[in-house]
Amino acid sequence: MERATQLAVPLGQTEVFQALQRLHMTIFSQSVSPCGKFLAAGNNYGQIAIFSLSAALSSEAKEESKKPVVTFQAHDGPVYSMVSTDRHLLSAGDGEVKAWLWAEILKKGCKEVWRRQPPYRTSLEVPEINALLLVPKENSLILAGGDCQLHAMDLETGTFTRALRGHTDYIHCLALRERSPEVLSGGEDGAVRLWDLRTAKEAQTIEVYKHEECSRPHNGRWIGCLATDSDWMVCGGGPALTLWHLRSSTPTTIFPMRAPQKHVTFYQDLILSAGQGHCINHWQLSGELKAQVPGSSPGLLSLSLNQQPAAPECKVLTSAGNSCRVDVFTNLGYRAFSLSF
Amino acid sequence: MSTESSKKRKPKVIRSDGTPTEGKRNRSDTEQEGRYYSEEAEVDLRDPGRDYELYKYTCQELQRLMAEIQDLKSRGGKDAAIEIEERRIQSCVHFMTLKKLNRLAHIRLKKGRDQTHEAKQKVDAYHLQLQNLLYEVMHLQKEITKCLEFKSKHEEIDLVSLEEFYKEAPTDISKAEVTMGDPHQQTLARLDWELEQRKRLAEKYRECLSNKEKILKEIEVKKEYLSSLQPRLNSIMQASLPVQEYLFMPFDQAHKQYETARHLPPPLYVLFVQATAYGQACDKTLSVAIEGSVDEAKALFKPPDDSQDDESDSDAEEEQTTKRRRPTLGVQLDDKRKEMLKRHPLSVMVDLKCKDDSVLHLTFYYLMNLNILTVKAKVTTATELITPISAGDLLSPDSVLSCLYPGDHGKKTPNPANQYQFDKVGILTLRDYVLDLGHPYLWVQKLGGLHFPKEQPQHTVIADHSLSASHMETTMKLLKTRVQSRLALHKQFASLEHGIVPVTSDCQYLFPAKVVSRLVKWVTIVHEDYMELHYTKDIVEAGLAGDTNLYYLALIERGTAKLQAAVVLNPGYSSIPPIFQLCLNWKGEKTNSNDDNIRAMESEVNVCYKELCGPRPSHQLLTNQLQRLCVLLDVYLETESHDDSVEGPKEFPQEKMCLRLFRGPSRMKPFKYNHPQGFFSHR
Repeated sequence: MERATQLAVPLGQTEVFQALQRLHMTIFSQSVSPCGKFLAAGNNYGQIAIFSLSAALSSEAKEESKKPVVTFQAHDGPVYSMVSTDRHLLSAGDGEVKAWLWAEILKKGCKEVWRRQPPYRTSLEVPEINALLLVPKENSLILAGGDCQLHAMDLETGTFTRALRGHTDYIHCLALRERSPEVLSGGEDGAVRLWDLRTAKEAQTIEVYKHEECSRPHNGRWIGCLATDSDWMVCGGGPALTLWHLRSSTPTTIFPMRAPQKHVTFYQDLILSAGQGHCINHWQLSGELKAQVPGSSPGLLSLSLNQQPAAPECKVLTSAGNSCRVDVFTNLGYRAFSLSF
Repeated sequence: MSTESSKKRKPKVIRSDGTPTEGKRNRSDTEQEGRYYSEEAEVDLRDPGRDYELYKYTCQELQRLMAEIQDLKSRGGKDAAIEIEERRIQSCVHFMTLKKLNRLAHIRLKKGRDQTHEAKQKVDAYHLQLQNLLYEVMHLQKEITKCLEFKSKHEEIDLVSLEEFYKEAPTDISKAEVTMGDPHQQTLARLDWELEQRKRLAEKYRECLSNKEKILKEIEVKKEYLSSLQPRLNSIMQASLPVQEYLFMPFDQAHKQYETARHLPPPLYVLFVQATAYGQACDKTLSVAIEGSVDEAKALFKPPDDSQDDESDSDAEEEQTTKRRRPTLGVQLDDKRKEMLKRHPLSVMVDLKCKDDSVLHLTFYYLMNLNILTVKAKVTTATELITPISAGDLLSPDSVLSCLYPGDHGKKTPNPANQYQFDKVGILTLRDYVLDLGHPYLWVQKLGGLHFPKEQPQHTVIADHSLSASHMETTMKLLKTRVQSRLALHKQFASLEHGIVPVTSDCQYLFPAKVVSRLVKWVTIVHEDYMELHYTKDIVEAGLAGDTNLYYLALIERGTAKLQAAVVLNPGYSSIPPIFQLCLNWKGEKTNSNDDNIRAMESEVNVCYKELCGPRPSHQLLTNQLQRLCVLLDVYLETESHDDSVEGPKEFPQEKMCLRLFRGPSRMKPFKYNHPQGFFSHR
């Protein structure tokens, strides 16, 4: 496995500090640019690094290609989630969401185009924003996080249109059900709630921990990850990773994974999941583990599939988590190389 | 033949004898009258062309007659004899004509030759004359040129210019009226004047020489007087020593030091000068002294001739002895090694006094053959230090100065040329001899003005004052900080070994009032043991755990939970923070690879160390970090979510005030302590 090489340079104070920072870095979020050639990664120090996927994947890639093209301080706190529209990169962390222009982002000294803070109830502590979701049909952005609400923001005007309440503890993740536009949210309280965007009401609630097949009380009840494929939903976290049929709210398949999963996504006919442990798990819909592909971080927090049509040569899976490295998988079966902060 | 020749002569004789009485008279008559027959005269009268015709005709007639005779003889008969006789007589006549013609030809030839000979002789005579004249001409020309080229000696003399001459010369020499017109006289006059001047100058020169002799003698006398003064002054100085000491003005001592300093090798001299200067100008707590034997130092500089003679003698002697008993190869090599690592007999001692009365004693040595400086260090404190077990290495002379500047571990020689020298005598590395010789740190070389560029070996000893001066202040400050931080650690370790984390009052605000977790164990471990621990792999791979660091193991306990912390203490503490790696044993083993919160705890002490530095000079960093670890363990244990399926109360009831227990996708615990409100929040 590729690991950081021994430093032969005598280490002064700054070098030691930088090395320690890199050792304790966690990358929380990733986002692919609309052209598909760049990858943005946000870490726990509030920095966003832009990597050039096309340079790193090209045949003349050198060690410098695996370093970020530009790194800038985006937020004061950690950057927990990021999404990309066709022109902007939206990043959210401690209570704020900021927008950056992809066209400008590669230049040094890039400033945010706008920043917004949803109306919070409490002022004692600034709640974090854990998940961002784009709803393309309405051109709106849904934010969810520490204040247990889902806020919907209109991207054109920047106003917060709705606040959906219902969770009793903070929200970890969001997913969009395209057909009837519904948003699923999973939170620390152990429930997955479906919200109808038109009526702004909770349509369905699934309390995962109450189902014996999947609950794992020693891990807790929190739902860390959600993914949906219209009729089906897969979620995991404290309880085991489970595939649910939404209309009947029944768990159909339980994936035998002991470690809590932090990110899950549907891909073609597979389900990819990652969490504690350094492997990305490839599951078949039947519940069988097809492959476990090791990465370089001891725990993973986010997976990103670059499916932008504009750059088919950059179609890769990238994973990031408890390290300063982003693993790149050109072929889902093995790790090709790692980009690093 | 003889008849012919007599016939030749005969006509003369006959003709002259024909008139014998008259002959004499005739002879004289003919001489007078010119009738005397002479064939020579006849030759002049006859025409050679006609003679030639006659000759041809006669030959033809002869041939014809011979042919007729032949005919007649072949025919035979009586007539033939008469005809033959006739013809014979005719041929005889023809023969005689031929002979005459022959004679005439000879005479002509002889005449011609005589004339030619005469003419030739004349020509030769003229020719000779011409030659003679030409030679003479040449000779004369040479003489003329010689005369023209003749430079009289007088032209080599630089005579004074004409104006000066007329101005200066007395009139009896210059004789202006005569010399103006006549250049010859003028030159003569000028020469006279030159002679006059030279005579006067010679006189002056002799006078000056004698003056000089006199003055030299006077100087000698005075010198002797002065040299006799020196011992008297010395005795006066000696007498004044007690007065100097009484008045605290140790001039004599300083003077002596400078005297000895003259015998120091160049790098030590630079170090001595710069250190003394720095001590006098900036830092009164620094004192410099020179130790060692001056005589030995002087002995190193014997004049080369004597040593060569000695060497050759000793070589001869040695040869004899070695023939009898050669020392073993090992002993020879050992001797060579000792020779290579020989130190200069003089060394410079620098004492740095710190605020708390502890002193750092540094002794600098110069290795002559290797051309590097080494240092030995010792720390003495005002009060006796009881060394706690874990603090053994903190102040040990071997490691107290390690890595004063990053990477400067002092185990390798900084002079690249030494490698070649080492290869010759079989020394692998200087590390083996470092305890004895002292450490060759890079900053020591810089203080001595020795600059070693990375690639080329240094051949000449260039000791640069400017290099030394620029490093002196920084190095002295670093040395002081080093000693003080080590001493502070020393004290802290004593307390840590007893299980008490000594937090000073001005750092209390960093922690909540009640800390339940306790430090139970604090021990030192070796580098290899640290590398063996399973939770320290990241630090080792990042290159932060070299062999110049010090390693410790701390154990913090609360109830059934045991937190093991492996500590890397960089010699550059406290500017470089100690690095902690944690392993928690409570309901399973949790390290940073399987528990995000353990990772967050490590980050709190490793990355956010600047908050824990405390007041300058931040000696409290380590103890604050340990106290924070205790606090973090408290928070971790108390905020652990209760497992509903297990019966019984929580082992650790939550006592800390927290706004939220979990935050963010990794569900972090609230590790940040807020003062003075006293609650915990997330970063």
